[in-house]
Amino acid sequence: MGYIKNLTSGVIEMRKHHLQDKLVLLVSFLLLTLFVFAGGSIAAASSGPMEQLQKSVDEILKILNTQELKSPERKEERRQLVLNVVREMFNFREMAKSSLGQSWNTISAQEQETFVGLFTNLVEQRYIGKIDSYNDQKVIYTKKLVKGNKAMIYTAIVDKDLEIPIIYRLQENDGKWLIYDMKIENVSLIVNYRRDFDSIIRKEQFAGLVEKITKQLEKTETSN
Amino acid sequence: MVLHCFQVRGSFAVQAGVIFLFLLLMVTSSRADGDIENGQLYLSALSSGGNEAEVESAEDDVWEEEIWGDDWDAPETIADPLEPLNRLFFHFNDKLYYWVLKPVARVYSGFFPEELQIAVRNFFDNLRSPARAVNCLLQMRLRDSSGEVVRFALNSTIGILGIGDFARDALDLRSSKEDFGQTLAFYGAGGIIYINWPILGPSNVRDSVGMVGDAYLHPMFLLDAERELIIAAWTFEKVNYTALTLGDYELFTETALDPYAAVRDAYQQYRNGLIRNQ
Repeated sequence: MGYIKNLTSGVIEMRKHHLQDKLVLLVSFLLLTLFVFAGGSIAAASSGPMEQLQKSVDEILKILNTQELKSPERKEERRQLVLNVVREMFNFREMAKSSLGQSWNTISAQEQETFVGLFTNLVEQRYIGKIDSYNDQKVIYTKKLVKGNKAMIYTAIVDKDLEIPIIYRLQENDGKWLIYDMKIENVSLIVNYRRDFDSIIRKEQFAGLVEKITKQLEKTETSN
Repeated sequence: MVLHCFQVRGSFAVQAGVIFLFLLLMVTSSRADGDIENGQLYLSALSSGGNEAEVESAEDDVWEEEIWGDDWDAPETIADPLEPLNRLFFHFNDKLYYWVLKPVARVYSGFFPEELQIAVRNFFDNLRSPARAVNCLLQMRLRDSSGEVVRFALNSTIGILGIGDFARDALDLRSSKEDFGQTLAFYGAGGIIYINWPILGPSNVRDSVGMVGDAYLHPMFLLDAERELIIAAWTFEKVNYTALTLGDYELFTETALDPYAAVRDAYQQYRNGLIRNQ
């Protein structure tokens, strides 16, 4: 009898423990939810560089993952949708300027405008070409550095079981963080274009560069 | 020597086991510290799927000018006195890509599905682990060196001849990406001049020496494989790599204005990044 009594009290004891565990679990769950929501609202209110970048990237991924847009006849529409997001992410004027280096100051305002347009299209070509071949790659965020109105966001794309590191360099302007350079596998887009453009400008001056970009864009346009 | 080892196989296995466990312990304990060494980015948050809460915020870190300035704005350039010849070889390699490598890689892709291509890539990459381990050691990076030994041991066995990256998936132990060119840079060697080799592609004097150095530590060389076999294996690896990255070369060169200059710079920046261990 004593044995059974012991056993039942043991069970009751266990149930008590069980209840306590459950209570702890419930409280911690509530706290966690509170944290997550509070954290979410704080993040939305301040909306740092990481949040803004992530939001834009998520938007692009959403477009790319939309099943209806994957058909070949809607390819152009899909491209346009992606480009609409991309145009809000990059500071193309700043990028065009720094890609030209010293030459920027030697050209007229009109020429600067033309060049920004050409440069934008060139970068879009490179970017959109990569996006066309998108196949369920994952984007991961690894590190964020913020200093004043500048930020660096370390990300990686998991492509075919390999992590390709991409670092974005952003600058804040009126609460909006815009990308002004990015490093893919340590290769800075701006530096690379500056060296590329330099090679042309040295031989054919700015006029030659404009002509070359225009030709290049026409070529890719027709090959698409 | 090898025969001798087999004769005392029992004690050899025990010794090897002890050394391996020691290395494993060293590697795992160093990761538990979670420190960032030499400003190196340890991608420990990678496998978490980018959960924002786990992303490391380094706002309190000491700001290094290097991170914010120089290597973004004005990285060093490399001398290119051989430019005319380099351009010739670049052109040759470009044609080789479009006329031979790409069509072959396309056919290859038809027979080898992507999963298999990844396995092939991992297999060849695993063979470079011994060279990486030695190079880490030469750069006084003991942890990374033991990491490479552990990677090689685990991936060659549990990872089945290296086709799976078991060490990364199970232990979050990643490749150090070191090579002899980087070791030479560690001891102060610069690239000297840019070289665009026919077939082999972009390089410089330092990295060309590095390539030869690493070749001596490649298992195929250590096992004294026939020259034909080495060439065949190299070609196979190259085709497999092309199949995995089909379209990347085209996109890059077609959106560059002077593809030669763009590739030369990209190579320089890429190598410098590896040397800085970013």
